[in-house]
Amino acid sequence: MKRYLIATVVTALAISFLGSAMAQQRSKSVKWTKTYVVEWNEPAMYYGAKTGVIDPGTDCPNGTNPEVDWIKVLVAAGYTLEEAKWLRNPANPTRSPVHGQNQMAFRGKDRANVYVNPTSTPDTGLVGVTGTIGEGINLDGDEKTGFTSPTGEKGIDNIFYKTLGCWKTYRGPRRLSSGALQFNDSMRNGAWTMVVVVTGEGDDPMNDNHVTVGFYMSNDKMVKDGNGNIAHDYTFRIAPHAKYEGILPARTINGRIISTISADIMLRDPGYTRDLELLRARVDMEMKADGTLTGYVGGYRPWEPVYKGWVNARGPVIESLTWVQLPAVYYALRRSADYSPTGDGGEKTHISFALRIDALPAFVMTPDASREVASVESYKAVAPKGTERTAAGSYFVVDGIVPDRTGKYKAGPDAVILPPPSGSTDKNQ
Amino acid sequence: MVCGAFILALAFAVVPPAQTSEPASGEARQIKVAVRRITETQYRHTIADVFGPEIKINARFEPERREEGLLAIGSAQLSLTSSGFEQYFALAISIADQALGEKQRTVSVPCKPANPAGADDACARQMIERYGERLFRRPLTESETLARLKTASTGAKQSGDFYAGLKLALTSLLVAPDFLFRVETAEPDPANPWQYRLDGYTKAARVSFLLWDTSPDEELLAAARSGAIHSEAGLKQQLTRLISSPRFEDGVRALFADMLQLDGFENLVKDPAIYPKFNQAVSDSAREQTLKTIIELLVRERRDYRDLFTSNDTFINRPLASVYRIPFASSGGWAKYTFPQSSGRSGILTQVSFLSLFAHPGTSSPTKRGIKLLEIFLCEPTPDPPADVDFSSVQDSTKGTVRGRLLDHMKNKGCAGCHRRTDPPGLALEHFDGLGQLRTMENGARIDVGGELNGVKFEGAQGLGKFLRNHPTVPVCLVRNVYAYGVGRKTEAEDERYLSHQARAFADNGYRLADLMAQIASSPEFFKVVFPVGVQRAPSTPASATTPIQKSEGDFR
Amino acid sequence: MSLPFNRRSFLRGLLSGTAVFVGLPILDRFLDGNGTAFANGANLPVRFGTYFWGLGLTDTPTGGTRWVPSKTGHGYEIMPEMESLKPVKEKVSVFSGFRAIGDGRPNLVHWSGHASILSGIAPAASGRFDGPSFDTRVADAIGTSTRFKVIDIDASMSRQPVSYSTRTGAGFATPETTPLALYTRLFGAGFQDPNSDDWKPDPSIMLRQSVLSAVTDQRQALMAGVGKDDRIKLDQYFTSVREMENQLAVQLQKPEKCGACVVPAAPKEMTRSASVDVVRANTKAMAKLLAMGLACNQTRVFNFVHTGGTSETYLAGQSKIYHQITHDEPTDAKLGYQPETSKLAGLVMQALGDFLIELDAIREGEGTLLDNSLIFAFSDTGYAKIHSIENIPMFLAGRAGGRHKAGQHIHTTGESVTRVSLTAMRLAGAPVGEFGTGSMKTARPITEVIA
Repeated sequence: MKRYLIATVVTALAISFLGSAMAQQRSKSVKWTKTYVVEWNEPAMYYGAKTGVIDPGTDCPNGTNPEVDWIKVLVAAGYTLEEAKWLRNPANPTRSPVHGQNQMAFRGKDRANVYVNPTSTPDTGLVGVTGTIGEGINLDGDEKTGFTSPTGEKGIDNIFYKTLGCWKTYRGPRRLSSGALQFNDSMRNGAWTMVVVVTGEGDDPMNDNHVTVGFYMSNDKMVKDGNGNIAHDYTFRIAPHAKYEGILPARTINGRIISTISADIMLRDPGYTRDLELLRARVDMEMKADGTLTGYVGGYRPWEPVYKGWVNARGPVIESLTWVQLPAVYYALRRSADYSPTGDGGEKTHISFALRIDALPAFVMTPDASREVASVESYKAVAPKGTERTAAGSYFVVDGIVPDRTGKYKAGPDAVILPPPSGSTDKNQ
Repeated sequence: MVCGAFILALAFAVVPPAQTSEPASGEARQIKVAVRRITETQYRHTIADVFGPEIKINARFEPERREEGLLAIGSAQLSLTSSGFEQYFALAISIADQALGEKQRTVSVPCKPANPAGADDACARQMIERYGERLFRRPLTESETLARLKTASTGAKQSGDFYAGLKLALTSLLVAPDFLFRVETAEPDPANPWQYRLDGYTKAARVSFLLWDTSPDEELLAAARSGAIHSEAGLKQQLTRLISSPRFEDGVRALFADMLQLDGFENLVKDPAIYPKFNQAVSDSAREQTLKTIIELLVRERRDYRDLFTSNDTFINRPLASVYRIPFASSGGWAKYTFPQSSGRSGILTQVSFLSLFAHPGTSSPTKRGIKLLEIFLCEPTPDPPADVDFSSVQDSTKGTVRGRLLDHMKNKGCAGCHRRTDPPGLALEHFDGLGQLRTMENGARIDVGGELNGVKFEGAQGLGKFLRNHPTVPVCLVRNVYAYGVGRKTEAEDERYLSHQARAFADNGYRLADLMAQIASSPEFFKVVFPVGVQRAPSTPASATTPIQKSEGDFR
Repeated sequence: MSLPFNRRSFLRGLLSGTAVFVGLPILDRFLDGNGTAFANGANLPVRFGTYFWGLGLTDTPTGGTRWVPSKTGHGYEIMPEMESLKPVKEKVSVFSGFRAIGDGRPNLVHWSGHASILSGIAPAASGRFDGPSFDTRVADAIGTSTRFKVIDIDASMSRQPVSYSTRTGAGFATPETTPLALYTRLFGAGFQDPNSDDWKPDPSIMLRQSVLSAVTDQRQALMAGVGKDDRIKLDQYFTSVREMENQLAVQLQKPEKCGACVVPAAPKEMTRSASVDVVRANTKAMAKLLAMGLACNQTRVFNFVHTGGTSETYLAGQSKIYHQITHDEPTDAKLGYQPETSKLAGLVMQALGDFLIELDAIREGEGTLLDNSLIFAFSDTGYAKIHSIENIPMFLAGRAGGRHKAGQHIHTTGESVTRVSLTAMRLAGAPVGEFGTGSMKTARPITEVIA
């Protein structure tokens, strides 16, 4: 039995080697092209309950992580009970969600700012997924490591899901988690556009051993149809981008596109992190009969930018609205990260992850709009200046909080919390 | 500059003698042969021409009315409701406010008042006469001028502001019936004393509205004033000038927007469940695509009119490209595009405009398309269906194609008469659904697009296009439409000989639209005087010294 | 009922003088036998107002059971969050499914929704509109015959006064924020007692009359030489001109003594608090004052803010503000909606109910002030949880003098909110052809509710 297994492994390795060699010599005789625009993308999160959005399920037996008792947290951080209650009372200043409750940042040791210094406060232990089913891609080729997919495939590597999957912003059925709703709403209203180009050299697109998948950005906005869905068949010009582009060799089997060789790519993250770097990325998508494309693109993404993305979206607001303590997210990601780009022994800076994508038929043109794209190639070299920089977020945030400029009640390590007892209760500041 | 030009114009103008407030015998013999409300586009173009394109116009214009296939004919039926007048009144106040606003007045008022806080009749008169002539499309009578002067001076005195008074005077011009309506006037013909001819200003207006869809400009007014427009050479000179101008495109747009009934776009709705791609952008783009195509083919390239039915050279933009399901290979708004033969498309008949306008919200309509095709391109209107139509053999629209359902009409005697004519052309277009999208199957059944009319068979849209191209009535129908549009009334039996003569000339000229319009506008029939009911015909004395403008250029008075 | 004088008799002989706008109460003696119009045929004036509340209601963009009735047309059922509208249901139309369309501009949270409704353009930056708010157009159209063209009110007890009425997009109106301030504005110094004797006509209106007389004086010359059919057309034109003259004449009418207009007593100052119950009481007090102001014809147009877009109202005793609850309360699996959010939405809607009932309490002619008004009530978002600008709740309340075929539920899938704005403008009597830009540009009002 063991010999058989070894032979299988050796054969598999040989095939992938051979595939790689063939890729080098692949001719550019593209016979078919299918092009799409991404109308929904979200982190692949398997939802283990039968109903609702936060209900207990096989993934999170106690349901979505509950709301944090902030008074308790603040007291544990060293504030008095009276101070904690004052800070959490909606009638008091700096209570507006626009600025959040800035003082919440200062609950580390010696009132350090926990957003920029997460280890200044103890790890409260972010509850993660304990189920065995997960969605995504087998990134390391090992069927023993990872989740089982809903359709029974083994070895799905998605530690991102395992770590963060019970967090309210990420948890939920397809298209229903609050984070996915927010970011896709923004994308679909024109914030950004991603297109997918699939080409092949064989005669049958459904079964072709030489397929290439390209992910590109476009500056052309999606258009909503009369029902509020994204309209089919619009034309999008590829906008060369210095960073957001992904080219992956693959093959199709009965319409399912599966990567043959992994590659390092970067996409536009549907979240506050913006840059979605995916090392050793692979795709697993299906070209459906109705012309749409659906599936996953996965890889190892750096975990610290994920944490920083949330912090820079206003720490107190994120913590309050999404029911999480951000330092716990930092600790959890750090301890769960499962990949080191420098090999075994190196620091595990990356974590396995998969993006779930739905795409619609669209026309995709070359950047100068002169013709439809007929091959998947890189446009990084002709990307305009500016695309190499990551765009700033929409909030002016410093160290995780929005500075209170008018500030009668500035937050900080030395802030006086309670108003003076001789009460000018100036509630209108 | 403006002031100087104005004085120069005055020097060459001939002041007609009958300019008192009492109706003189000469004026009494003037007959108003038609009163037609100006259209929304004519209103807008006039205001832009006279006061500049920066003037904002936002109002609800009263709906127009189509008669004999043309809004131009229907305009003769229209007056103004009181809510319509309220709109025009508010609009007039707004335009006067803008035109005489602090920045604009340096341009619009050719003189400065002696005292800006009081009345100044001399300066006010200049403005009133200048704009009055452009707006009324003829010089103001002294009585009309005096009335506005009174308004201006009263207003200036009461408000302590000369310009406030001017605004009132201008407002008064903008709500006058002589502006809002085209009052066409006939005068005794000096060459034939017992006959009438349209006066020079009426002729100028007809020419201007036909070719530029706007009120006559200074040069046309001058040709009317001097009488040059009455001579063949003078008229031709103006026609050539107008047709070779880029503004000719406005005139052609207005003509075809009326003829093709593109005003249907204003209220077009489609069922989003069935045609989700339809939205306001698609609707506006479809209308614009058709007009752009017509301008390109018929005006800029001066092609054969019949090419509209067979040529697939057109324009598309990004929203339309999604409906046509083609890539949009351009970075701009519009791009030239030619549909390949394989697309099955054939000119104007298969553009989204025609296909979606004449269809239902959720499905195509061969009957509607057939009716409109016959009406618009063959000048054959279809009578309304009988009141006692039997709907009992009702269509099960989930089975088979619409052809089968329509065949039931052919069996019914009351229906067959019309449907035998209207349905075949419509059925030939059935490869295009209610939005104009290509489809070859309906309810799982292959769509049959064969048809026959007048013994001629055709297959699909391309066959239908060729059929129309070769049909002898199609060019004649255009001739009739251009003529009726230009004179603002439907054609009668006595016009037939003239129309066939014009149609022959049209054919001889290679079916070129500009030549046709020049031909018609320079023919005497274009200015034929048709007396309205209830008006005394013959003048009581031969026309002599009392007739106004009859001097040639250069004569002074 | 014949009068010893008629309205025109006041006009003749009244020449220059300082312009003083006077309230013109609707005295029954001026009405025709049906009480639905003035004796000379001019209609009772329609009042127009916007009413804004923040954070929408609790149905999601894809559907819900909290406010969108399942029936369309007349006879819609009262949904849980609309309970407060039950007493005036027949005078209220409900609009669901409409959305603001950004054409690529980002959805600026708690801003783009109502900016789109009011200005027809998705704004580029928060805190600004990219065009004037449409209430200014209505005010220009119908507000010129009263002392105030428009009155702006903010009952929300927010940190900064909230107003969404703007002509430039950059500067917004300054609203009255307390009952006492509103009272002072309407009935304090400058208020013309209808029982007073020194009234003078407005010269600018008289000047407009001179515009029309310059036209009518030409009638005889125009009609000379005109055919029979054209004569009929021109006659209709001149009839329309006469009606316009009549309108102007009404505006120069000296008011009669009036019993309906009762100058109220000065209100007490309220303690400032943003909790839901206090804001509700504030709204009710200001609604009462506004209603009397309308009845005394001090203004015909108003803008009323109940709570702002980023509303900070909360249930007294609770630590979480309504805004936060909308975001972090999950949908209850069994109920299918967010229960706390929905409860708060219902409480916010109580204030709208109070508001409309105050207007309905004043009798006018055969009906009430509400019958002669059109109030456009709307919010900034459809589903506050995700700041969605789809399915933004909108109501048209009041019969607009009969123009509004009220009591209907109009539902759409994704049409632009500007259609309802345009409908409101039309019902209010503003001559607007089209409204909005880009995908929100429309020239089609919702004709089902227009008589």
